[in-house]
Amino acid sequence: MDKEITPELNSYLSFNLGQEQFAANVGKVLNILEMTKITEVPKAPDYMKGVINLRGTVLPVVDTRIKFGMTATEYTTNTCIIVMEVEMEGEQVQVGALVDSVQAVVEIENEDIQPPPSIGSKFKSEFIEGMAKVDDKFIMILNMEKVFSTDEIVTIKEKTDEGETKIEKSEKSTKKKAK
Amino acid sequence: MDKFKNKFREEAADHINDLEDALLLIEKDKGNKELVERIFRSMHSLKGGGAMFGFTMLSEFTHNLENLYDRVRSGKMKVTRDLLDMTLASVDHMKLLLADEGLDEPDFKSRHLNLSLQIKKYVENDGEDTELREKNDDADLAKDNSKTFYIYFEPNQDIFNDGTNPLFLVDELHSLGECKVFAHFNKVPELKNIDVTKCYTYWEMLVVTQENVNAISDVFIFVEDQCELEIMEVSDKNILTNEQIVSEIEKLAEERKDVGINEIQQIIKKYSIKEKKEEKLEHIISKKEKLPSVKENVISSIRVSSNKLDQLMNLVSELVTTQARLSLYAEESGQPELVTIAENVQKLSRQLRDNAFDIVLVPIETMLTRFQRLVRDLSKELNKVVVFTAEGADTELDKTIIETLTDPLLHILRNCIDHGIENPETRKKLNKPEEGKILLKAFYSGANVHIQIHDDGAGMDVEKIKAKAIEKELISPDANLTKKEILDLVFLPGFSTATNVTDVSGRGVGMDVVKRKLTEIRGEVELDSELNVGTTLTIKLPLTLSIIDGLLVKIAHNHYILPLSSVNKIYATEHEKVVNTYNNLIVLDGDQIPFYYLREEFGLPEGEQDIEQVIIVSYEDRSIGLVVDEVIGEYQAVLKSLGKMYKKQEIISGATILGDGTVALVVDTNKIISQFSEVKIKKEN
Repeated sequence: MDKEITPELNSYLSFNLGQEQFAANVGKVLNILEMTKITEVPKAPDYMKGVINLRGTVLPVVDTRIKFGMTATEYTTNTCIIVMEVEMEGEQVQVGALVDSVQAVVEIENEDIQPPPSIGSKFKSEFIEGMAKVDDKFIMILNMEKVFSTDEIVTIKEKTDEGETKIEKSEKSTKKKAK
Repeated sequence: MDKFKNKFREEAADHINDLEDALLLIEKDKGNKELVERIFRSMHSLKGGGAMFGFTMLSEFTHNLENLYDRVRSGKMKVTRDLLDMTLASVDHMKLLLADEGLDEPDFKSRHLNLSLQIKKYVENDGEDTELREKNDDADLAKDNSKTFYIYFEPNQDIFNDGTNPLFLVDELHSLGECKVFAHFNKVPELKNIDVTKCYTYWEMLVVTQENVNAISDVFIFVEDQCELEIMEVSDKNILTNEQIVSEIEKLAEERKDVGINEIQQIIKKYSIKEKKEEKLEHIISKKEKLPSVKENVISSIRVSSNKLDQLMNLVSELVTTQARLSLYAEESGQPELVTIAENVQKLSRQLRDNAFDIVLVPIETMLTRFQRLVRDLSKELNKVVVFTAEGADTELDKTIIETLTDPLLHILRNCIDHGIENPETRKKLNKPEEGKILLKAFYSGANVHIQIHDDGAGMDVEKIKAKAIEKELISPDANLTKKEILDLVFLPGFSTATNVTDVSGRGVGMDVVKRKLTEIRGEVELDSELNVGTTLTIKLPLTLSIIDGLLVKIAHNHYILPLSSVNKIYATEHEKVVNTYNNLIVLDGDQIPFYYLREEFGLPEGEQDIEQVIIVSYEDRSIGLVVDEVIGEYQAVLKSLGKMYKKQEIISGATILGDGTVALVVDTNKIISQFSEVKIKKEN
């Protein structure tokens, strides 16, 4: 894939998370996989769902819903993993994103993209690049780099804090049992 | 052309390595003919290739060396330490010549001339030595074991009828060795009587060859019935070198119609009687000595870019995964034919996988030549006696890791010899053997490869390091550090304890660079030292692409791999024993062993089965039990990295793909153990 052209592509892959529609530039998308067995990695943050085998390489899978502050994905026949290539700390990394369903590839012209609403959004707005209206529905265009970037400290920190408290709790519980 | 030149450079580097390797080996086994052959071959390839691709300097230089070793090969010269020193220096020089063909630097040029001169001198000097030796009847291996044969060949007159040209036969004899041919025309009739379809000429020949009688009669095999043929060995020496004999025979041949075997034998006898005494000895030797068998240098390896190998590996992994699916499907389908096919595919893909892995991994051995060389040269330069040994040289690592590893290891070895090993005198005073020892040990430990470099030298003075660190303001004077922490100070930039800056080490750039380089390939360094006893440096390397023998276990619905090398024992125990415990200790075989209930560790609900499996893993001298649901069996796992996003999960060192396409996680048992001890320490505090 020629990286020179990708930013200028106006095609977006739209997908659903719950009732909301999102879209990502197809330049970032490598592959769409059906849901397969995900191997969980212990002691990882909740949104890090686990790893899958992508034709011989190990691909980390992120539960996009958790990352966006929704409940964890429930697996249905429509559940898909979108394989994307994003830049992370200066390196091209492949990541799988768990989504509820994949919709279509839509053409959105740059001038049709509106800035994201600054207030009142129930989603973490730093991930959203813009909004576009397609077929009378609003689609949120995502900045995939930001979604997967490890620099996105807020979520990670929240999660690890949670993880730690969990561990503490479990320690307490075992101690109680012991007593 | 540049492309070819680069190709040649790569190839030449291989040849030079091989050459160096052989030279170091021959130092220990000076009489080894095969090694001489190997040395000679490498030089020859270098010379030939060099000339072909325009590396004239290199080619000429090697040519001289080759001459030298030609003499060694033919036994005219012996392998001496001096010779090896010079050759090794030349090998180094050849490496530089590859890079700087034009001799642009004046220093370099003078060195070139110097070495060339040395080699030439060697060739000349040794010539004299050889003569001396010959006089002493020293086992002169050079004695060529050629024999002289007399052949009388008179074809039937109608030999042309079969389309045979006797001259071709004579020509063929030439290919066996030096020939002296006397053609006799006295049977040729007068011109008017000549029948042009008939052959009137006959020949007498002296052939000097290393072949035996059979080889000669083979030449005449098709005309045996159509000629008079006589083949006889007249001398076990090359009589054609003796001018007197040759001229006498020539004279005879001119005077008479044919010389005849008897005459020749007499002449030979006459002239060789004086030499007889010496000959006898040589004769025995020459019988014992076989011809140096020059085997054809077949292509034993080819170069492939590592990208292609990576691709191959990916394809193989995919194939294995797909094949596993096929097997599963075939079994379910119940069609016997399909099952057979699937089994065959499975067999083939397994072989393919093993082969592909073999290609990508390189044993540590490949670096060792350079180390041997360094130890040899440096210890000599510093007047120290050092023996370098390596254990576990067959430990395999990814090629890229090996490449990055070489320089840091060289530096570490340099430190060992320069700072570690003492002079023989000092060692004697300390009641140590005069010979210093450096041991390089490589082994798999858990999901890592460990490389240990141990020397029995002076060790490091903790107090001195501390003082130095304070002086350099790296630590505050009142810092309370453990021994390990102090030793770790040497990895700080700008730290060097050597008071004398030698050109070997001690420029203050050293261990910090080593550490940085190793960190780049995710390696860790650990230092342990005892004053006057020795220093051990341990490098832990991850196995980015290494295969490990693992134990496949199941926890809940996930598979995990424990490195088999760290697994000691497996026990089955009751569920209650591992769940309701006070201090996470379990008694097995009378020993109290701390354990981890992995389900709990991994944040999974408590298991429901009655029997749990406790796997005892150990690291260094600590053992710990890991409780899993089920032990499935041994599994050869190809490690894959979990990638950037999971680098915080330390207890999982990687993943592997199982036959059915699912991912199994590889547990870093060492990390678990050290984590456990940390927790314990915290609790105690």
